[in-house]
Amino acid sequence: MSYAHPEYLVETDWVAEHSNDASVRIIESDEDPLLYAIGHIPGAAQVDWFSTLQHPLRRDFLTKEKFEEVNSNLGITNDTTVVFYGDKSNWFACYALWLFQYYGHENVKIMNGGRLKWEKENRPLVKEVPSYAKTTYKAKEAVKSIRAFRDEVLKQSNTKKPLVDVRSPKEYSGELISMPNYPQEGATRGGHIPGAVSIPWAQAVNEADATFKTPDELRALYEGKGVKADSEVIAYCRIGERSSLTWFVLKYLLGYPNVKNYDGSWTEWGNLVDAPIEKSI
Amino acid sequence: MPLPPKLQETVDDFASMTREEKLETLIAYAEAFPPLPERLKAIRDKMEAVPECMTPVFLIGEKQTDGGIIFYFDIPPQSPTVRGLASVLANGLNGCAPEEILTVPADFFLPMNLQEAVSQQRINGFMGVLAHMKHEAVRLLETQ
Repeated sequence: MSYAHPEYLVETDWVAEHSNDASVRIIESDEDPLLYAIGHIPGAAQVDWFSTLQHPLRRDFLTKEKFEEVNSNLGITNDTTVVFYGDKSNWFACYALWLFQYYGHENVKIMNGGRLKWEKENRPLVKEVPSYAKTTYKAKEAVKSIRAFRDEVLKQSNTKKPLVDVRSPKEYSGELISMPNYPQEGATRGGHIPGAVSIPWAQAVNEADATFKTPDELRALYEGKGVKADSEVIAYCRIGERSSLTWFVLKYLLGYPNVKNYDGSWTEWGNLVDAPIEKSI
Repeated sequence: MPLPPKLQETVDDFASMTREEKLETLIAYAEAFPPLPERLKAIRDKMEAVPECMTPVFLIGEKQTDGGIIFYFDIPPQSPTVRGLASVLANGLNGCAPEEILTVPADFFLPMNLQEAVSQQRINGFMGVLAHMKHEAVRLLETQ
C-alpha cells in the first residue's frame, strides 16, 4: 500500500535536485524561527508562524490580502510549487501548508523528515538569504472545508462524529491544562471535547528521522481508534499547529476526503463558557 | 534596587535596538553559545531543569572563590532562540553574588521590548530560565 496522495510529499533528494528550479519555492517554517538564520537549505525562504503567518492583532491567521503580499515578496506565483520543511518533525511546516491550502494554493508539498533528516544526511545548510523578484499573487476563495470553528466542533461532538485530540495524554485526560513547557498557553479548564479520541500527533512520525510512518502503520493507528475514511473528521490540539500535522496525515497520506483542523483548539474550547468537557482522571 | 551593572547594560542595549538588530544579536549569542564543559556532562541529569522551555534546558551554578556565581548551560543547537535568550541572562549575571541575583525583578526585561522579536512562549521560557537561575542562587546560598 502506498500513501493516498504521494504528490504532497517529497524526499530530501528531490529538494536537493530542485533547489535551483525557478518553478519551485522551498520554504522553512520552524518552531524556533532563528534556526533559519543559523543555516537553511540553499535557496530556501522563511515564513515564521508568529511574525509572518499570524494576524498582528486578532487571534487569527493573516488576512487574504496579507497572504498575497507574503507570496508576492517571496516571488511565488499561483503556479509555483511550494515545498515546506521545518524543525520538530515538520509541525509548523504542516501548519504553513494548511494555511496555503486554505487560501487556495494547491501546489504544495512537505519535505519528508524536515530539517532533522536533512541535517542527519549531512546536506549543506547556508546563511545566504535569497531575494526574489516580486510577483503578482492572487489568492483564491478561502477553502473553508479544511477549517473548523467552534459551533461546528460542538455539532461534531453532539452527533458523535470523530474528533481527534492530538495533544499529550496528560492534556487529554485533564491532568494538565497546558502543554508541558508552555504554561501560558493553557486554558481555565482541563480535559477534552466529549467523544474525542486521543491520538498524540507524534505517533504519526518516526522519532529517529522525523519521517512519516508507513501507510500501513498510519492506517492501523487511526482506524484502530475508530477514525475512518468514510466519516468527517476534526483534529485539534492546543493552538492548531500540532493538529495541522495530523490533518496533513489524514487528508493526504491516508486520503480521508473530509478532514478539518480546528485551530481554535483547546486554548479556545477550554476557555469557552458553556462548552461541554470530558475528563478521564 | 538597581540591576547588576552588566545586566542593566544589556537591557539598555536591547532597548535601543530595532527588531532586526535584536534578532541579529540573539543569533550571534546563539552561535557563540559555549557547550557544556566536559567535566559537567556526567552530572547533566542532576542539573537544574527548566521545564518552562519547550527545549530540554539544564543549568548549573558554581560559586567562585570571590563568592560570585558562574552559570553553565546545556541547550541544544537546534534551539537558537532559547540559547540566545539564556545568553542575555548569563552575560548579565555571571560573576554576581547570589544575593544580587535574587534581587533581579521577574519583569526586569520589559524595557528590552523583546516581544517585538520573539513570541510570548519564548518570553515565558526566558522568565523560566531566570527563575531557575534563582533556584541555583538559593541552593548555593544554603550550601555556604
